[in-house]
Amino acid sequence: MQPEAKMTFLDRFSAMRETQFGAFVPVLLALAAIWGYFGLVLPLIDLMSGEADSFRAIFLSPRNIYNLFMQSAVIATLAVGITIVLLLGDIDLSAAATAGVCAALLGVLVLSGVPGWLACIIVIFVGIVMGAAQGLLIAYVGIPSFVVTLAGLLGYQGLMQKILPTGNLNVGDPFVRGIARVLIPDLWGIVLGLAVVGMFAYANLRKQSRRKTLGLEQDSPLALWSQVIAFAAIVVAVVFTLNAYRSLPLLLVLLVAITALLGWITTSTPYGRSLFAVGGNPESARRVGMKVKRLRVSAFAIVGFMAAIGGIFGASRYGSVSYTAFAGGSLLLEAIGAAVIGGTSLFGGRGSVWNAILGALVIGSLGNGLDLTGASAADKLMVSGAILLLAVAIDALSRPGNGSGR
Amino acid sequence: MTFENTMVGQAAPPAHLAVRGIQKRFGGVHALRGVDFEVARGEVMALVGDNGAGKSTLMKVLAGAHLADDGEFLLDGKPVEMSTPNDATELGIQIVYQDLALCENLDVSANLSLGAEPVKPGWSFLPHLLRPLDDLEMEVKAKKAIDKLEVRTLQSVRAKVGGLSGGQRQAIAIARAVGTESSVVMLDEPTAALGVAQTRQVLEVVKRLRETNHAVVYISHNMRDIFEVSDRITVLRHGSNVATYTTSDTNPDEIVVAMTRGLDTENGNAA
Ligand SMILES: Nc1ncnc2c1ncn2[C@@H]1O[C@H](COP(=O)(O)OP(=O)(O)O)[C@@H](O)[C@H]1O
Ligand SMILES: [Mg+2]
Repeated sequence: MQPEAKMTFLDRFSAMRETQFGAFVPVLLALAAIWGYFGLVLPLIDLMSGEADSFRAIFLSPRNIYNLFMQSAVIATLAVGITIVLLLGDIDLSAAATAGVCAALLGVLVLSGVPGWLACIIVIFVGIVMGAAQGLLIAYVGIPSFVVTLAGLLGYQGLMQKILPTGNLNVGDPFVRGIARVLIPDLWGIVLGLAVVGMFAYANLRKQSRRKTLGLEQDSPLALWSQVIAFAAIVVAVVFTLNAYRSLPLLLVLLVAITALLGWITTSTPYGRSLFAVGGNPESARRVGMKVKRLRVSAFAIVGFMAAIGGIFGASRYGSVSYTAFAGGSLLLEAIGAAVIGGTSLFGGRGSVWNAILGALVIGSLGNGLDLTGASAADKLMVSGAILLLAVAIDALSRPGNGSGR
Repeated sequence: MTFENTMVGQAAPPAHLAVRGIQKRFGGVHALRGVDFEVARGEVMALVGDNGAGKSTLMKVLAGAHLADDGEFLLDGKPVEMSTPNDATELGIQIVYQDLALCENLDVSANLSLGAEPVKPGWSFLPHLLRPLDDLEMEVKAKKAIDKLEVRTLQSVRAKVGGLSGGQRQAIAIARAVGTESSVVMLDEPTAALGVAQTRQVLEVVKRLRETNHAVVYISHNMRDIFEVSDRITVLRHGSNVATYTTSDTNPDEIVVAMTRGLDTENGNAA
């Protein structure tokens, strides 16, 4: 009886993950658990064991939340890009190295007097070319993406070292630094947040009323309104928390805007639909006339684009470009981990760019929380590994057909 | 050619879609060895043959999913190009693949519109691939197609195909082919996963397609179904034509013999 009950639970779990917002539940729960642990449980334990003389919610302080978001932003940018190829059932191991090359090139360009905005455009272009080149090899030569991008990882790491022989370069260009430094005035941040909430609510209600006029099945009003309210609560909480420390940083607004654009493209256009179709069944996608090869190339170009953006964000935030911060460090694994922890399937055909952002927050929160408790780098690695394993296990278990033991 | 020689019974109706001398190799496997095939409007052409005879390969070639190594394609007597699935769709050829070719991670309505998704009007400044999908229109279309097939057990067109039964999937694959504007509909073993009642519905669909002046190709191993719906029967064996029969002039035994032994043994078996 035990296994039977477990199976129905698993089935129900997979069914929930198939719904539009159910896919967010596991990663939101993970985030809540981590924030609860570092933000409430640990301080309480400290308080009761007498180690601290008052309740200090350092982790959940606006200042730390602000830093947490900024720390997670580069991981999130890459994770959003990687999600696009994961949807196809491919993987990109070179994203962080691409970001490194782009950041290094950006640093060299602004140092040699190229205006910041122009340098950004150039490296974005370079990133797209680097991604698309790998996509061409994967789609038209037929080499598995794992191999091509592994070669890309090595090659681009080397390229970054060529561009930055010292391994380190300061970036002082005001345009580039501005991306992370410019803050949206408090009031504007609130207006922006409310506008986004308003648009979200309007789009949902309009869809519901069109469903009614077309005689289609309706979403339950409860589900509809709880979606809108949950979304509004998250947006308002984020804006007010960031305002309480500094203000909404331009970098986060850009990240959310790009993610929204990619989110819209993946879920609401024929292009995005074909990404999912290829991830689900490449042969049927081909047979209904989808240009699978071009699609692959374009998806890798998008990863290249996001990697370049990640490189710019990183250079802007750190004010410098270093080999370890990008190509040589843990960025790649954190970004892939973020996408998978967010709930995007490694097997293709399921996932979303928004989940990648939440996954990046999970990774960022773990790192930040363990830092605050004075954990060692070794502890951080081991905990991250365990969380990643858990996420992949959930992914494997909620694959259709797996619950029934196929 | 063999085609003329083996024509049994009255003169064949003028072909709507015809292919001549189709060759297809998969590496060392010579799957189609100069196959001729044709189907007229308002007729159901059954295609039979043992497993591995090349029926599915011929269908895929006709649907543009495989590129023929050699052979001609004629639509209403005019030569046409057939090298991609889009060519076939544009010529009005629709197919229900034997393996269904559905995406399990997408819902029913998305599968029914796959590759031909409707977009909202008024975004013409964007390339077609980046225009907003009209997913409600998709659901409306899907509901119509499903209702036509009377798949009563299907609760929602927003259900993921991965969670559906074999019969429901088959119905969706059929609905996809039938729901699209077309002149030729090919069904590759469409009743393999179906129960008695659902098989009846598929046969009704096939008859309705004939009444609406479609050219229908129907592959099956079930002789009773074939003799119920088909007008002519083409028999393939080892990737070559054996013969084409008029259904009313033949009987299941003759077809089975042709499938398994070909024509050369016919003399010895003549009844
Ligand atoms: N994609 C393929 N690659 C290699 N061989 C194939 C492929 N498709 C079909 N074949 C071979 O072609 C022959 C005909 O197969 P098929 O058309 O599926 O037969 P049928 O549908 O009549 O049972 C078989 O020998 C099969 O193994
Ligand atoms: Mg077959």
